[in-house]
Amino acid sequence: MNEEKEDSTYEVPIGPIHPALKEPFLIKFKLDGEEVVGADPHPGMNHRGIEFMGMHRNPMKVIPLSERICGICSIVHQHMYTTAAEHAVGIEPTNRARYIRAIMCELERIHSHVLWAGVAAHEIGFDTHLHFTWKIREEVMDLLEYITGNRVNYSMWTIGGVRRDITEDMHPKIFETLEYYEDLYEKLEEIFLNDPSIKMRTKDIGILTEEDALSLCGVGPTVRASGVKKDVRIDQPYSAYGDLDMDYVVPSRYGYEDKGDVFSKTLVRLKEVLQSISIIKQCVEKMPEGEITSEDNKAGLLNKLKNMGGEGIGRIEAPRGEAIHYVRLKEGEEDIDVWKVRASTYNNLATYGPMFMGEQIADIPIIAASIDPCIGCMDRAEITDVNTGETRTYSEEELHELSVQKTEELVDGGIE
Amino acid sequence: MSDVVNLAVNWGIKSLLVLLVSLLGIFVGLLYKGFDRKITAMMQGRIGPPWTQPFKDIKKLFMKETIIPDTAVPWLFNAAPVFALVAPLVALAYLPLGPFDPIMEGYGGLILLLYLLAIPAVAMALGGLASGSPYATVGSQRELVLMMSYELPLAIAAVALAYNFETFSIAAISSEPVWSTVGGVGLLGFAMILGTLFAVMPGELSKVPFDQAEAETELAGGLFVEYSGRNLGLFYVAEVVKMVFVGTLLIALFFPYHLSSWFSFGGPEVFNGMLLGNLIVDIAFFLFKLLIIIYVAVSVVRVAFARFQIDRASYFYWVPMTVIGLIGTLLVMLEGSMAI
Amino acid sequence: MPTQTIYTLIKQLFTEKATNPFPVKYTPDNMHDAAELIEEGKLEINPPVEVPEDFRGKLTYDKESCIGCKLCVRVCPSEALVFKEDEGKVKHYVSRCTFCGQCVNICPQSCFEFTQEFLIAGPDKEAEDLVINP
Repeated sequence: MNEEKEDSTYEVPIGPIHPALKEPFLIKFKLDGEEVVGADPHPGMNHRGIEFMGMHRNPMKVIPLSERICGICSIVHQHMYTTAAEHAVGIEPTNRARYIRAIMCELERIHSHVLWAGVAAHEIGFDTHLHFTWKIREEVMDLLEYITGNRVNYSMWTIGGVRRDITEDMHPKIFETLEYYEDLYEKLEEIFLNDPSIKMRTKDIGILTEEDALSLCGVGPTVRASGVKKDVRIDQPYSAYGDLDMDYVVPSRYGYEDKGDVFSKTLVRLKEVLQSISIIKQCVEKMPEGEITSEDNKAGLLNKLKNMGGEGIGRIEAPRGEAIHYVRLKEGEEDIDVWKVRASTYNNLATYGPMFMGEQIADIPIIAASIDPCIGCMDRAEITDVNTGETRTYSEEELHELSVQKTEELVDGGIE
Repeated sequence: MSDVVNLAVNWGIKSLLVLLVSLLGIFVGLLYKGFDRKITAMMQGRIGPPWTQPFKDIKKLFMKETIIPDTAVPWLFNAAPVFALVAPLVALAYLPLGPFDPIMEGYGGLILLLYLLAIPAVAMALGGLASGSPYATVGSQRELVLMMSYELPLAIAAVALAYNFETFSIAAISSEPVWSTVGGVGLLGFAMILGTLFAVMPGELSKVPFDQAEAETELAGGLFVEYSGRNLGLFYVAEVVKMVFVGTLLIALFFPYHLSSWFSFGGPEVFNGMLLGNLIVDIAFFLFKLLIIIYVAVSVVRVAFARFQIDRASYFYWVPMTVIGLIGTLLVMLEGSMAI
Repeated sequence: MPTQTIYTLIKQLFTEKATNPFPVKYTPDNMHDAAELIEEGKLEINPPVEVPEDFRGKLTYDKESCIGCKLCVRVCPSEALVFKEDEGKVKHYVSRCTFCGQCVNICPQSCFEFTQEFLIAGPDKEAEDLVINP
């Protein structure tokens, strides 16, 4: 403590368990009075070995497992995983399934963004809006339950399509929910964009410049708030997104500055709720007739997956930003050979550096929340030396070398 | 000899009364804390906890183990909650409670009350510093900064009142509603001062938007982070008694109205020439006033704002509130000089 | 600082509350006693929210039509279905089930079906109603 006192800075750990973080995660802050002069994120507290579990199961079993990577983006992970598996064995989902998938993804985006708004309000001590947003989130949860039969982990996807249809008689309920959000949207904006005390806490806080956003490879609303036009749905359309009319949601489109502060991030997320409503409407209108899955014979599919090999990638725009799944299957083997998940928080974590610098302790929770971190999705491993029990970080060169080594192992086919 | 006996009896009665008032203060405080929690929940569209929840909380806290961290300074760590509780309890003895005059009338006035108001904040900060946790240290610093900030508008209000009544005696100030002692400009002045006092109240009681010292999402409870069991229970009780104390102070200074001064409710004569009906109605009216003040200054404010950053909270008290308070005081003085 | 929020808050004081009072409005002092009271019928519980038609509740298993093809066991992600070699049928552990319904889709004889029942939690995972075809 004494030597720290000399340079008047002290260290405060936020995490692994802390009310500002909704999941186990550690950031070590260096503080000077109330000001942050250094932030050092330490992930690895919530590693559950899901990839490893997946590599000991057959591709069908992994579908429900994949959605359990994260409680909020369960549709996203299912979607990415099935896309990757389809890509690996060359199965194409039907057109109707593509539209249903897009609708589900957008419903989840509404659910995720409204939930985030509540969490953000809670972080700045405004519990009233936490209760309000979570109350209105119930509507979309009910709709998801109505369509899929489950409230959180939907189990809606299958390789080759979806498992439940969105029929004509479901449309009234869908439109009813969308109207509910359209009616409430104005109030949401009034709360989060015009309330004086929320504005005071979010404006000019946690700024991420466009330059930093690009160089740190951030994804999703986090960088769109800085004016970076980056959205997989438009850049590399998947599902039905290629047929739909949509544009990048950046603050400058709505007459705000592309500042990259917490306020811009809130704005982008709120506007995306509106965008999702419009996308769902378009999807429901344009939905083609036909089968919901191209592989109706599930037993045959199981054998096909066993007998065919290949590797595939699923890349989609999750509510938090771009995420990727990589799947490799081996000929004649029941279990998945390799499964690799790269969630959006992994990229966005790097943006913490410039965002925290020079801010106050009071702003730590809201800035931490502003990237909508999902540690469950992100955590992979922490490197601990078994002999000494010390945690260490690898340098860039070492990591590169290790990656090359790993790739060679994968190419040779030996993974263990 | 009889003088000594009289004195002894007198003080005996006084100490019994102080004990009674302390217990009643704790009871009413817990009851109103339950009210506050229930009403804020209802405003947020929730059912909320039952009215009796604070009593259950206290019972549970006192049953739990009290942990003293290794890094703490034990005697200070344990003494802080006691100081935090005793100060507002003592203060209740110097305040007029509804129809009753202060128990300790003549022994202390407004200045003493201002000091008693500062003690819990200091005790909390000391307890936080003594617990040896970085979160608690930051919380304590914030508590002290906040205290220094809201003391300024508070002192200005006290000066304005003392100037107007030409006394610091709380009984004298509350014997006549302040609004009837001044006219026109003075009324405006006192309204402004009342406004600043309402703004000081959430800061005084560490409620959102001025709960930076606890700041659940930032400091995980701030200066209470290492407290548990009985010590935390004492802080909990201290908080609710402080709520009653500050509310009663506001009533005594600005709303010392009694229903019995307009209507008589009859009944037999019971105490100091007061009628039983009047007594009951006045006590009920006092409790009602307290409820309204807590609702307006604590419950509504607590749910309608986000937590401020500490520098903005300080700025809020030092600049806008102080300026408003000073203008109010000037108006009161203007009125006073015109009267002469 | 009067804001829109304060107006909304005062209004919400009188509107219907969003809290779901299931199973009872306030948490009882003693959960164990409360559970016993409910069992004896002395304490009434508020009904849960209605579930949609296609809800995925506890599974039913039609043992008669099962042909023992083991496909359901192959797709069950949580190993809730165990094949009984002697009988040629499956055993279903409800406590392990994740309600993904892959068995419902894959079964060639449609032996499995979802019900609307979801109040199935209990202290004993081997209880009679939590293991189907034991």
